[in-house]
Amino acid sequence: MSSVRETAGDDPALRVEALEALLVERGLVDPGVVDDVIEHYETSVGPLNGAKVVARAWSDAPYRERLLADATKAVAELGFGGTEGQMIVAVENTPSVHNVVVCTLCSCYPWPVLGLPPAWYKSPAYRSRMVAEPRAVLREMGLELPAEVLVRVWDSSAEARYLVLPERPAGSDGMREGELAKLVTRDSMIGVARALPPGETGGRA
Amino acid sequence: MGGRSEHYARVVREPNEPVFHTQWERRVFGIAPFVLLLFRGNTERLRFAMEQLPREQYLSGYYQRWLRAFEQMLVEAGYLAPGEVDARLDGRAPALDGARARSPVRLAVAARLIRANLRSRFPPWVSARVLPRVTGTMRPARAAPRFAPGDRVRVRAQAARAFTRKPGYLIGKPGVVSAHQGAALFADARGEGRRAGSQHLYTVAFDGRDLWGEAAEPATEVRVDLFESHLEPA
Repeated sequence: MSSVRETAGDDPALRVEALEALLVERGLVDPGVVDDVIEHYETSVGPLNGAKVVARAWSDAPYRERLLADATKAVAELGFGGTEGQMIVAVENTPSVHNVVVCTLCSCYPWPVLGLPPAWYKSPAYRSRMVAEPRAVLREMGLELPAEVLVRVWDSSAEARYLVLPERPAGSDGMREGELAKLVTRDSMIGVARALPPGETGGRA
Repeated sequence: MGGRSEHYARVVREPNEPVFHTQWERRVFGIAPFVLLLFRGNTERLRFAMEQLPREQYLSGYYQRWLRAFEQMLVEAGYLAPGEVDARLDGRAPALDGARARSPVRLAVAARLIRANLRSRFPPWVSARVLPRVTGTMRPARAAPRFAPGDRVRVRAQAARAFTRKPGYLIGKPGVVSAHQGAALFADARGEGRRAGSQHLYTVAFDGRDLWGEAAEPATEVRVDLFESHLEPA
């Protein structure tokens, strides 16, 4: 009998079903709103929001200034904000500094501009290694940085949620904002990749 | 987990990863705002509940961790009886009389608040001013800031607390204040459900060599947001 119980208890699908049923019976959860929450994060929020912010910063110098001075406000200009974006800070990659974001204590992430974090961002491997051997992790993920470039790792531990402003790719002069946004991947805004070169927008992550 | 080599492994990306992998992950995520509202949106409380889980439960995965922590929090606050979810899974009758329930009015209020947050676009003043004030933790502090950008500081090795937002790998390490962010409700106190005053919050830059010594990679820096009481002058 106890082995049956342990099996059922360890299955998260059965467990969350039981928990939700109890909370609904007790008047603590409205299952229709649960559906809405899920749908919102599956369809309305994601890295396309951040890509719009970055593309705007690349094509509009005063906007870039505002973004670097107060990203919460600059992101709000495009209508984005809310949960896990109460204080957004944008950090700019340059030829001499490369920024990358991690949360070693949990998995803090700027939801309004990037959506929910990917599994690797939440993994113990990324959380433990990124602060101690960022160059090795980045190399493994396909980003080799010259030794003279400073690697600056942001370990999100309080209110701020960090958004990397990647370098604008070479050869993108004259491209319009909408086209530029297609070069901005989720990974480039976490700092584990560069923005895509023009003409290479397939297989984006 | 920062710098803890027992967790070291290859970082594996999943191509075209979906937002959720399973239906149960969706449900765990979807009930989260309701659970958090019962705790006045105190996410530190959730983080503390996760950190207190048995190791194998903590490491079982992101949403499993949330699920187990919700149960723990709801039991502690009297919304669930201990073992009640297991009893339900066994088909046993709920053991609980006098569990905390909420009136339909309160549920309707919670539902409205949660729905109000589910907008793909907000008016700029709402995102920039209202939501940070209502749902964020930044609050002015009465005292003047003790540190300023450029100050050399050291991370305190204070008595072990049950909960802290000070990453363990920083203890005793020297750094330089790179920004004063303002002040925020003290997360360490909030996690434990203690009354939290507002404290100045700083971004501190640590040289890789100061953190990891000989093992450090060249030209690396870690920046972390720390509360004033986490720091002392160096």
